[in-house]
Amino acid sequence: MNGKVLVIDHEKCTGCRECELACSVYHTGSSNPSRSRIKVIKWEWEGLYLPMTCQNCEKPFCVEVCPTKACHVDQGKNRVVIDADKCIGCKTCILACPFGAPVFDTVERITVKCDYCDGDPQCVRFCEVEAIKYVDVSQVSNDKQYAAAEKLANLIPGAAKE
Amino acid sequence: MPEDKIESTERIIELLKSRDIKPQHEWGWQVAVYLYLAGIGSGSLAIGIFMDWLGYIPDDLRPMILWGPILVAIGALFLVLKLGIKKRFLNTILNPWTSWLSRGFYILSACIVVGMIILIISILPYLGINTGSWSALLLALDVIGFILALATAIYTGILIQSVKYVAFWNTSFLPTLFTISALSTGTIAVMMSALAYNIVTASSGYPGQLMTSLTVIEQILIVLEAIVLVLYMFTRYRAEEYGRYSVRLLLWGNLKYIFWLGIIISGFFFPVILEGIYSRLHDQHFLLFLAGGFLLLGGFFIRYAVVYAGIKDQHPMQQLLENQRYLNALKQE
Repeated sequence: MNGKVLVIDHEKCTGCRECELACSVYHTGSSNPSRSRIKVIKWEWEGLYLPMTCQNCEKPFCVEVCPTKACHVDQGKNRVVIDADKCIGCKTCILACPFGAPVFDTVERITVKCDYCDGDPQCVRFCEVEAIKYVDVSQVSNDKQYAAAEKLANLIPGAAKE
Repeated sequence: MPEDKIESTERIIELLKSRDIKPQHEWGWQVAVYLYLAGIGSGSLAIGIFMDWLGYIPDDLRPMILWGPILVAIGALFLVLKLGIKKRFLNTILNPWTSWLSRGFYILSACIVVGMIILIISILPYLGINTGSWSALLLALDVIGFILALATAIYTGILIQSVKYVAFWNTSFLPTLFTISALSTGTIAVMMSALAYNIVTASSGYPGQLMTSLTVIEQILIVLEAIVLVLYMFTRYRAEEYGRYSVRLLLWGNLKYIFWLGIIISGFFFPVILEGIYSRLHDQHFLLFLAGGFLLLGGFFIRYAVVYAGIKDQHPMQQLLENQRYLNALKQE
């Protein structure tokens, strides 16, 4: 997919779940993390927290299995979206997704997923440690290369300073 | 680390992890009931029409064994019950190009409609309407009904198989297993209703030819079903990590009672024994009803077990981290 995406830095995430609350309040008006589109997966024994949401796959399984075309690729926005008016809440997309990204909203009785809050993701705004960023896809690979180069530089004595 | 140590450590990790695995709950018992009723309904319709073609079914018995579409319709209602917003169920017709749930709507609807027409026509002679001159129409309907019934039986497995990411479901052994199970439960249901009708009315003679043929078909289907079940579980065990966990969940995990008591004992062991005795003692009809009851129960538990054992990896990193966790725990020990 082109355009902007959410990028997670699991080393920064403290597992505070503020992102879940912000997401829930923004989309549902209630501070109920179970209705959040983003989920923090926790491995307490490792001290590792990973906020997970839709990866907007190139060939999404969720779109393939959806019987109502509610779950579809929005070509204009370059992302996978669920049409709340068409969804019947069959949960097939939840089972089909490798990342467990679509979530069943027990109040609305339909499946919901991250829509990047129409370009202003609330999880990014409220993440105090900046573990979640909303950046352009092209920048993601640049950042990774930069980080790898930095690590390599640290391994060579004296090179980091230069 | 020496190779044998690595191997034994990996085995311990597998064992430890299998304790934590829980069945999936996104698709619950309603889906299992749907698959079961659609299976038994379509199976009985296919077997009933087939036996009619062989000329083993007396005319007065026809309506008593062609009730399959009613069960398929009731099964479809269970699927609607499972939906988040039930009144939107008609939306399922919108994506037949890629979604099997959507295709199923068309297949099941056609099966129910054609099956009901066949059933209604078979009742007409009781209402004084002569259908003797309709033989060409009846034959055409029977052929279409038979094809649709088989399609429905196969579809119940394909629907589950189409959720590709679940390793336990992603195999063509699953539609094969569900189809054989549908025919097997359908056969026993036809036998039970034919016998019940015979006992209740006591008007016509015992349909010996029909019952003997169905007993043979049933026994063949049970053997085939057992072979396919073993192959299915064996290939899933070897396929992917989570396929292996699903098999463990059934063999000695949370679903072990469903598997051993519900499927093996009730679905295979008792029916084979009881039907074997019944084939020698034809006057002991209760044996057939008992065998049938166990077999039908086993048929349900096969669907129930397959649906609930369809677990998947929640996240690709989860595996790596859990391995690290158990390795650390082992090191500390």
